[in-house]
Amino acid sequence: MGNQLKLKDQLGLNDELFAKTGCMFGLEKLVEKEKNPGLYEAVWHILLSVCNTAWEVGCKVSASPVAAEGGDALWALHTPTGECICTSRGITAHVGLLASMVRKFIEMGYEDSPGFKHGDIFENNDPHYGGIHMPDMDTAMPIFYKGKLVAWASSVTHVADAGAVLPGSINFMNPDTFSDGMPVSLERIGENDRYYPWYELRIKSRTRAPDWVLGDARGRLAGLITVREKLIETIDKYGLEFFEKASREYIEDSRRYAVARIRNQAVPGRVRKSQFKDLTMKGKNVLMPKQNVDLLSNVPMEMNIDGNANVRLSLAGASGSVPFGQNITPTALSSALLMGYSHVVGFDMFNSGPTYALTVDEPPPGSWCNPFPVDWFASTGMGWSSAIRWLSSLYEVTGRLYYMRGFVEEMSAGAGTTMCAEWNGINQYGQYAVCLTLEQASNGSPARGICDGEPAAWCLYTANADFGNAEVMELYYPFMYLGRNMEPDSGGYGKFRGGMGHTTVWMVKNSPEMHYSAACAGANSKITANHGMYGAYPMPGDRVAYAAGTNVKELIEKRQPLVHGRGDDPDHPTLAQNITADVMNNDVVVPTIIPETLHEYDLVINPTSGSQAMGDPIERDPALVKDDLDKGVTRSWVAENVHGVIARKGADGDWEVDQKATQEKRARICEERKRRGVPFSEWWLKERKQVAAGANMDEAVKRMWRSSMKLSPGYAAEIRAFWNLPDDFEF
Amino acid sequence: MAEYDIYDIEDIRKLVDGELPWTTVQQMMKNGKDRDRFDKWVAILQGRVSWKEKILLPLTPALFIVQKPAERVVKCRCGHEFGDYRVNWKLSALIYVRDTDEKISEVYRGHEKPDLTWMQLREYYCPGCGSQLEVESMPRGCPPDFEFLPDLDTFYREWVGHPLPDTVEFADRTPERIKEWSSR
Repeated sequence: MGNQLKLKDQLGLNDELFAKTGCMFGLEKLVEKEKNPGLYEAVWHILLSVCNTAWEVGCKVSASPVAAEGGDALWALHTPTGECICTSRGITAHVGLLASMVRKFIEMGYEDSPGFKHGDIFENNDPHYGGIHMPDMDTAMPIFYKGKLVAWASSVTHVADAGAVLPGSINFMNPDTFSDGMPVSLERIGENDRYYPWYELRIKSRTRAPDWVLGDARGRLAGLITVREKLIETIDKYGLEFFEKASREYIEDSRRYAVARIRNQAVPGRVRKSQFKDLTMKGKNVLMPKQNVDLLSNVPMEMNIDGNANVRLSLAGASGSVPFGQNITPTALSSALLMGYSHVVGFDMFNSGPTYALTVDEPPPGSWCNPFPVDWFASTGMGWSSAIRWLSSLYEVTGRLYYMRGFVEEMSAGAGTTMCAEWNGINQYGQYAVCLTLEQASNGSPARGICDGEPAAWCLYTANADFGNAEVMELYYPFMYLGRNMEPDSGGYGKFRGGMGHTTVWMVKNSPEMHYSAACAGANSKITANHGMYGAYPMPGDRVAYAAGTNVKELIEKRQPLVHGRGDDPDHPTLAQNITADVMNNDVVVPTIIPETLHEYDLVINPTSGSQAMGDPIERDPALVKDDLDKGVTRSWVAENVHGVIARKGADGDWEVDQKATQEKRARICEERKRRGVPFSEWWLKERKQVAAGANMDEAVKRMWRSSMKLSPGYAAEIRAFWNLPDDFEF
Repeated sequence: MAEYDIYDIEDIRKLVDGELPWTTVQQMMKNGKDRDRFDKWVAILQGRVSWKEKILLPLTPALFIVQKPAERVVKCRCGHEFGDYRVNWKLSALIYVRDTDEKISEVYRGHEKPDLTWMQLREYYCPGCGSQLEVESMPRGCPPDFEFLPDLDTFYREWVGHPLPDTVEFADRTPERIKEWSSR
């Protein structure tokens, strides 16, 4: 062991050893683990505590609503060559990005110039060099022990504003990279545990919420120093040699764990899952003419598992990059995948190891998931957007594999969507403010193989699901929460349903003007996700509602009913029944920046999705349907028409199920299905003519197919062959 | 990874049927995974179907790959057969497409309704029992997902440890079925 080699040479050696042995660092045996398993485990938990302590310190020092209230941040510990050893709680999607950033410093020769020394601070947020999008600022610090670089500490926080062309940090509207905001491109941004003054000056003049952005920077730094100081104490106690050996073993251990879980819980073969992501912008306020367009992105997943439990993923068929922020780089996508893998494969030492248990084929150059080879200036302002939909597929496909092996307790259906609410304007303290709310960090959880998902307690992009306290958010932002209620039937329809999402109702308060954006970080609005797992119906898409120029002040004075949710009947929403307004829209297709400026007593109704269901809805236990009726989380027409449950509301307000009538109704539904269903071959004969003619297909759909087929000729050949279309057929 | 074969078949049955307390389920999730779960799982499922063919792989709660005398086919719990498991079984199912406002309104209402020029809602039914086997939400032009083509021989030989008596090629036979239809 030792670090005599230059880090760049050590990187090369690590790669060689992995290629030769299939083990990280060539560790065919986990010597420290075998020699002293108790110590090995104990030090792992100490390192975990070190990172989590940094998270606590950093979030509190930051004081920004996103970090302090939402915990949307992360601290990690890395080997000298960048592989992540251990990470805090928080936004674990960033572990891969942080590891690749440190590797990039080494590959760029920074060890020689500007060199690495105690107290240095390095940073990147530039997607061209390994970031995800500008608001996620990745920072790292080398850790020295008796003069030797023995580790790196890293951190990421999601800042409220990174100076993109429009306010906020969910920058879906960016037309190109020049609108993405303030870049920090693999830079040394400080020395001697202090930021350079010019780094702080840049933040002050180029972001809209400099106090919060600087607060986050100080929080990251405080956490990094915490990791460093606590690690040095740990090494003092357990010795450098043990730390160096064990830290590498933790990574190889985790790789082995991921491989073993796949081998023990899955089945070798080929998995395919289609998924799509809509982006409807035609006719809305956009920044450049090229953005006046509706788009559908193809987000396909193919997973091949071989006899050695190697997992290989492909995005063949992915459609082209878009003139918005919804593009992502392969580096960021792989990092997101590592987090998704941590949820569904469940390795218990979360670090870089499982990255080496997975291969992701290079996505089609020029696609939304690999834009730069064709369009170097593509925006990645909200890179997570389509990637989130892709990761949602990962949940379902692994759930299917686990079912086959009988591990029903590990199954999950598809994930919820991610639509973010962002505000900007003058806050209650008279200052300009950008306000990312945290509602989206608390979806319902996916249905499990044996029960329903949980309501408003889960999030795809972070294991740290937390929408913050309404009362605290009201201190930060100039609005009042009129409601934060479970949305009925927001978890799809199935034998087991997803956990319910929640709907937030905000009233602008103590502000002369605010602007609201239903921003896309992975939303669907025109379509439902392709998650009808085992015959369930997918949950509906994301639509928001708002009212500007309302009579709410008068209603409050008269103590008349307000609005606390959407209401049970989508055809007759509560907003329209209870409120009058100069402008009201109950069905806004997202994403969107609503055109009206909002003033005091104006309202926004913002849904956060549940997650997906699984199983034939008529197999749902009638007792569960009754329970949902009693709690008001399903509607009576859904109970009868979709679940086939005949129930009547009793005098005491509780529902009673008529078991016999329910059995008969369900039998009738099965017979009706057999009557109306047609043999697939008959449908295929008719449908292929419709496909060939492009009948009833929005131009966005055709545009997507043209793009997918151009970028992935093999995928195109399969589509043409399936519909028996000529070799030169194009949509 | 620690592996604890501490659950017997009755424990697994209770798990599957939702009879275990949530705390016990959580403990099962945290524990290492029992290596013979698959054998227990198949034994439970085999006891719940009325037909005799050996289950090779449970595909979904309704569908199984089973061993027939000379082939491996997809079979519904009701007994209906869908043919060679290497052909997407959806090609042998009944399909119903919700592509009009009237049809989609039976499932979604008001702002919940998707735009049917952007997607179709396809329902796949078992011709035997009318079970809704899968639902797909896809734009027109998308072939049905062939969700999983297992490499059964590798699975049984290398992962389960009981090789199957015969072997078949691991290959997607769906395109051949389409070619047959195309030549009609």
